[in-house]
Amino acid sequence: MKSTEMVARETDVLIIGGGFAGSWAALRAAELGARVILVDKAYVSRSGASTLSGGITTCPLDSDDIDVWAEEFITRGGYMCDQRWTYQLLEGQRARVKDYESWGVPISRDAEGNIRRFASRGMINVRGMQYQPKVAMRELRRRVLDLGVVILDRVCVTELITSDGQWPTSGSVAGAVGFNVHDGQFIVMRAKRTIIATGMIAMKGTHRVDNDTGDGVAMAFRAGARLVDMEFTFGGTFNVLMKRYDFPSYNVAIAHGARLINARGERFMEAIDPVRLERGELSQVVAAFAKQMIDGNGPVYIDLRHVDDTYWSDMAKIHRGGSILMSEHVPDPRVHPLPIEPTWGMWASGRSGLQIDLQGRTNIPGLLAAGSAAKNDATGTHASAGSPTAFCNVSGWHAGECAARESLEDQLPPTPTHVFNELREAAFAPLGKPVHEKSADALHDDLARLEASVVDGMVLSGDRLQAMLEVTRDVARLSGEIAAMDLHDLVKIHEARNVAECAGAVYQSGLDRHESREQFFREDYPMTDPSWFCWHGIRRGRDGVIMERLPFPTEGVRFPIRNLDSGLGRIGAIIRGETPKGGAP
Amino acid sequence: MTVDATTKIEIDPLTCTGCGLCILSCPADVIRLDEAAHKAVVAYGKDCQVCYLCEDDCPEHSITLSHDISNSRRFSTYDQFGLKI
Ligand SMILES: Cc1cc2nc3c(=O)[nH]c(=O)nc-3n(C[C@H](O)[C@H](O)[C@H](O)COP(=O)(O)OP(=O)(O)OC[C@H]3O[C@@H](n4cnc5c(N)ncnc54)[C@H](O)[C@@H]3O)c2cc1C
Ligand code: SF4
Ligand code: SF4
Repeated sequence: MKSTEMVARETDVLIIGGGFAGSWAALRAAELGARVILVDKAYVSRSGASTLSGGITTCPLDSDDIDVWAEEFITRGGYMCDQRWTYQLLEGQRARVKDYESWGVPISRDAEGNIRRFASRGMINVRGMQYQPKVAMRELRRRVLDLGVVILDRVCVTELITSDGQWPTSGSVAGAVGFNVHDGQFIVMRAKRTIIATGMIAMKGTHRVDNDTGDGVAMAFRAGARLVDMEFTFGGTFNVLMKRYDFPSYNVAIAHGARLINARGERFMEAIDPVRLERGELSQVVAAFAKQMIDGNGPVYIDLRHVDDTYWSDMAKIHRGGSILMSEHVPDPRVHPLPIEPTWGMWASGRSGLQIDLQGRTNIPGLLAAGSAAKNDATGTHASAGSPTAFCNVSGWHAGECAARESLEDQLPPTPTHVFNELREAAFAPLGKPVHEKSADALHDDLARLEASVVDGMVLSGDRLQAMLEVTRDVARLSGEIAAMDLHDLVKIHEARNVAECAGAVYQSGLDRHESREQFFREDYPMTDPSWFCWHGIRRGRDGVIMERLPFPTEGVRFPIRNLDSGLGRIGAIIRGETPKGGAP
Repeated sequence: MTVDATTKIEIDPLTCTGCGLCILSCPADVIRLDEAAHKAVVAYGKDCQVCYLCEDDCPEHSITLSHDISNSRRFSTYDQFGLKI
């Protein structure tokens, strides 16, 4: 470590996290003439989930009837959304796809040169496309730099600055502080508007997005921002092949005709979702997997013998990890079905997160959010393949626009200067601590264990949620006691605290919800209770945590809201071996 | 389940030119530059998330990743249910 000297910067708009959400926000804010700082723990274009995503995104074209798509998003999500957001998402994404085309981002095309589209997972009418996310991220980096955005790579943000030096604040958010992970320089970034775009909340070592530890969500929560529907964070995908290998993309494979079969060769999704089959709502497919395991019908295999030829050609072109299928490490997938399993853990991706309005504003003045750190109100609790990245692009764009417009008419909020020294001390505190029996890695082990089993994670209960909550409290406490060996280790201690605080909010929200709904299933409350048809908020007040139930907006409703849910939800039905009836289709 | 200490990434010092591209690429801050030798070195191997970004970005093809070791804290439901695959 070279120094912990303090440098101060001032800007109109500060954006924390440079994936699709943060980069689109930076692009839009800079286009409108705002001074923008974009800060990332890693190197913008080679960090978070955006770069590593499977490359499917929702693809509405001018020829599509947006009403049909919107209706599908709204009904599949059980009407638990803001319908104005659904339209904003689809219209905004139309424009973003055109941008990618004009930038020359490689997109899979048919023989006539038209974008090749396929039904998105979970959907019948909504279409997605396959493109190269790494190239899109590289282009975004280049373009924001051209517009004069200041990118600070390798700066780990540790806390938001508040105008009153209080967390939670009664004032506003006035920027953030962090340190350079290579040289230890402490950076105070004062800003008129701050956008959280730190992506998903993932346990380290489980999802291959190890720097998305929910830092921004945790920082905003500490500052008093409202999180919603945290218990719907649970989610996952089929990404583990034969226990050891990462399967490049389940969504891509099933879009091309891959099937799931059990040890008896049965295509078990036929009984659960005869229309969409493996492309059904992901939590229901994962529940069906869990059911196969519980009933002794495992292993479950992915059968790639039926995929079309474009699968193999796209795979070779677009997915680096795709080579595992052809690497001779696994039996030839064109001949043999391969054992596969899902991960099911915390990773938000729009089903939960910071509550934002149509412009990306949170409940705290000066603070906005976008992308996977925010709750995606366009699709409710349902995340179809491709909609997470579409939401990142569009919510980023709107948050950037709002932050730029507001900041150009506003002054930098004053902050008492002692606050910066206190935040510096807090950021570096673990470097001076005596060696502890627990290491940062051990804390991450404890956290990862919480979401280890897909079967246990899917079938919850009050006792299990309480036990998991206790673990997160222990980890959060220990993160304030253990020693950091160096700056690299220091980052991991901050990350452990942040994952633990986000996970704590998830389990606390789950404990508060005395019913089962959508992908959230409690054995002790298996029925869906119509009185829970609402957003479920959690935020920190001065006297502790406040849980809230917030009604869905009725303004701008195109499809009359129906409170569909009653009776045993779909996950409960699948786990109990009954035919799913209630809940969103 | 504890973090797997096995290194999944190898950098060939004979072909590495020390250009530093892989250091930029790595989201997990695994690779650093040995300034004296002017070569990339694996500094925090156990944090590698096997994302292939460095291998893809290395102009000299000096980086090899092992397919055999996946994410470090991975847990298998097949082990939980005692299923051999
Ligand atoms: C393996 C995988 C495949 C996926 N495939 C698809 C797909 O095909 N289609 C789809 O639509 N969605 C997919 N998703 C989901 C989608 O990738 C994400 O929802 C989306 O990329 C999130 O973008 P983001 O901009 O919100 O966050 P990210 O792209 O994750 O960016 C967040 C950034 O914040 C930075 N950051 C975090 N904490 C800090 C801090 N403290 N200080 C500074 N910076 C910080 C990180 O370094 C990171 O760069 C996939 C996800 C995964 C993990
Ligand atoms: S990218 Fe390749 S050549 Fe460049 S420093 Fe890394 S290993 Fe060496
Ligand atoms: S594979 Fe990914 S995490 Fe591992 S060293 Fe390379 S870039 Fe870093």
